[in-house]
Amino acid sequence: MEQSIQIGKEEKQLIVEDLKVRFFTSKGIVKAIDNLSFYIEEGESYGLVGESGSGKSVTATAAMDLIPDPPGRIIRGRIFINGYNILNDLERLVTIKVRSPYDVRIRRRKRLIKRHNYIMSGIRGDKVSMIFQEPFLSLNPVMTIGEQIKEAILLHSRVEISNSIIKRETLNEDDIAKMVDTLMAQPDNQTRKKLIARMCSQYAIPDLAKPFTDLYENSTDREFIMKESLALVSTKKVGLNLEELEQARNYFLLKDREHDLYLKLIEAEKQEDEVKIDEVRKQIYQIKSQIRSDYLLFVLKRLFLKRFMDRPFEEYADGRVLELLTEVNIAGPERVMDAYPHELSGGMLQRCMIAMAFSSNPKILIADEPTTALDVTTQAQILDLMREVNKTYNTSILFITHDLAVIAEMCDRVGVIYGGNLVEEAPVKEIFYNAKHPYTTGLMNAIPKAERRYEKSARLESIPGSVPNLISPPSGCRFHPRCKFKMDICSEKKPKLVEIEKNHKAACFLYSDEVEEEVEEDVP
Amino acid sequence: MELKYFIIRRGLIIIPTLMGLTVLVFILLWAFGPYQIAVAFNPDLHGNHGLATLANYLDQQGFSAAVINGQLQFTNPIGSYFRFVADLFTGNWGQVTFPSRVSTMTAIGVFIPNTIQLALGATILSVIIAIPLGTYIGARPNTPADAVGRIFSLSGYALPAFWLGYILIALFANHGIGLVASAFPYSGSGVAGATGVPIGEFGLSDPTHILLIDSLLAGNLSLFVSAVAHLVLPVVTITYGILAGILRFIRAGMVDAAGQEFIKTARAKGVPERLVIKKHIRKNALLPTVTVLGLLISGLLGGVVTVEIVFNYLGIGYLAVNFALGVQVWGILALTFVFGLILMITNLLVDVVYAFLDPRIRY
Repeated sequence: MEQSIQIGKEEKQLIVEDLKVRFFTSKGIVKAIDNLSFYIEEGESYGLVGESGSGKSVTATAAMDLIPDPPGRIIRGRIFINGYNILNDLERLVTIKVRSPYDVRIRRRKRLIKRHNYIMSGIRGDKVSMIFQEPFLSLNPVMTIGEQIKEAILLHSRVEISNSIIKRETLNEDDIAKMVDTLMAQPDNQTRKKLIARMCSQYAIPDLAKPFTDLYENSTDREFIMKESLALVSTKKVGLNLEELEQARNYFLLKDREHDLYLKLIEAEKQEDEVKIDEVRKQIYQIKSQIRSDYLLFVLKRLFLKRFMDRPFEEYADGRVLELLTEVNIAGPERVMDAYPHELSGGMLQRCMIAMAFSSNPKILIADEPTTALDVTTQAQILDLMREVNKTYNTSILFITHDLAVIAEMCDRVGVIYGGNLVEEAPVKEIFYNAKHPYTTGLMNAIPKAERRYEKSARLESIPGSVPNLISPPSGCRFHPRCKFKMDICSEKKPKLVEIEKNHKAACFLYSDEVEEEVEEDVP
Repeated sequence: MELKYFIIRRGLIIIPTLMGLTVLVFILLWAFGPYQIAVAFNPDLHGNHGLATLANYLDQQGFSAAVINGQLQFTNPIGSYFRFVADLFTGNWGQVTFPSRVSTMTAIGVFIPNTIQLALGATILSVIIAIPLGTYIGARPNTPADAVGRIFSLSGYALPAFWLGYILIALFANHGIGLVASAFPYSGSGVAGATGVPIGEFGLSDPTHILLIDSLLAGNLSLFVSAVAHLVLPVVTITYGILAGILRFIRAGMVDAAGQEFIKTARAKGVPERLVIKKHIRKNALLPTVTVLGLLISGLLGGVVTVEIVFNYLGIGYLAVNFALGVQVWGILALTFVFGLILMITNLLVDVVYAFLDPRIRY
């Protein structure tokens, strides 16, 4: 889309701009996130650090628009995922009237919220996925792991699945001959293996990958390979009703197009472009009437015979689940597939979560303290796994943690968050060796280091005081009550996050005099 | 596989429970006076005697307290208990004089189908209504719909069934204030004075004693309609109470499940809101509800007794009240035993169903 902002050669995958999140509680309005902006480039992993209660997890949840309402709401901001601003229709969803901090009336527009949820359900899990802190709590206890991963697969790749099933069913001798020729031409086993894997998943025969590979390793006789391949493939053809499959594929295609049109419609509404709104509305109406006229029988059949009609899809998805579980290094994926979450360990569950998150190859992965609840060895394994996945799929990762060691290990760039404000942002080396903001230096000094034990003062330095209550945060810079370098201006004005060195931003009056303008708003 | 062993093990627990039940029933037997017990164990003595004249009568017949004590082995309670238990399990339940002079087994056997019909109908109806309604309310807590639902369920919880029954009669039957005059019949099951079906013992229809089924078997549609009409008020009365109980729990379960982390996961992977509610939240909310349903069915037994009296409905509740009023020793003992059995079986079923539904149950 046009909106995706090109800077340099890399494209930004996730852009959060000017985010403001509030929680309306009986004790007052919690000013959880204020004017938060950051971006993540393709393949980059961005770390967000801060103490507990600083707003890290809220940021992660807000990035997927999953803030529980009530009590929370995103008040303002733009979040670009894959170039589309998911908060396009934010202002229109609700009207918030603040009579007093304890009496906030929120009027929700049900129809628009429904539409927003519909839009979001197509984006979440497809373009952006999320891994949570507590693997034990994050999986449904009454569904098997396989079912849960399968659900994610079937939600987002229905068209691709129908295409590959159709391909499998129409696979003929010529196609196989072509396949065999290309594979025979491969110079070494490694590249051939990869190619086989890709072909097999293209033709919905993932479980044939291994016999195929064995075949090429053991023989070079084209005739023999050809015969064997044909035999192997013919065992996999189920003889499905092609017409029905094609109908399903076209139906899902239409559904996907409808979703895209709704994205366009919301964008047009945001720009108040009447002509475009009408045009898109007409297109949506067209698709809807097409579904009504051509697919009425199909929809009705799906309503009652879903179990039978989805069987080929389910079978395909089962194969895909096995593939994913193997990819995240789970031993005995067949067994794990049928296991319930309580039967597995935390590390295993977190692997399953990662498998689930990657089921539709998302461009962005949000990891909300993925290793906090795990023991140290498992932590290392999970981090390795995430790095590996990051490399193979070139996925951008938003990594949220309070563990600076993990940040040093995983991230390219780091943002430090305090009291709902981003106070410093720099490449990871800069943060560790050249921290600017007093809060960041405080954090760095609080890391236990082995060599310090031999120094005179063995005491670990800590930042005095505690995280402010965000219902009534300190005036000006939110860190000033705990700051060693407090000046008069700190309690009066709020510092702005500005670039103080190349690629290094900080919000502190020690380095810049720039003040963030505080605007009077309806919602404080 | 493991589930099978769980069911067997759970089934074995029935044995000690059953022993406890028999002890309880045996103790109950001792709550009666010696003359009443004498009559219970000597069916020939049955007659319409007041208690005072009964004593005189028995004395005339040569049944002194000492004779009775000897006959019933009162001096040997253990032996007496085992004889009693043997009687209970062989179905040798003595005789009753209500509704006529028959063996207790026959009386209960004839009247129980009607009660099963009432209880089962009410349970099924309330589950069918409660699940979608509870899902709807539970998905939108603290909204006007929720408030209405809560008032409804709280009132159902608070209103005693017999009182509600009288109110319904007043409103819908040709009785009392008659808001909707004679919309529904309020007494009996419709079999009284009915023609076209075979009428068996105690004026109940044959062969199943359930008019609903018997009228269909006889091909008598108008009688079937009348049977349904007769069922409406009692079933509604019982349903209201059970429905209220289940509804409260489904709602609470839904609200509780909706706040869990895995619901966030489901949303994060892009499950549409409708499916989040139906698939993820509701499935977890229904688990505690099964337990509650078991408890409610136990409570239903008590409810059935009063409701059957209010609606003059010929079931075991009706029987139980008349047994108690007429001090029919064997009738009271046998019904206590039957109610106990029903409770035990219900609890067994609930445990097994729960194990099926919740994979976390360890066998």
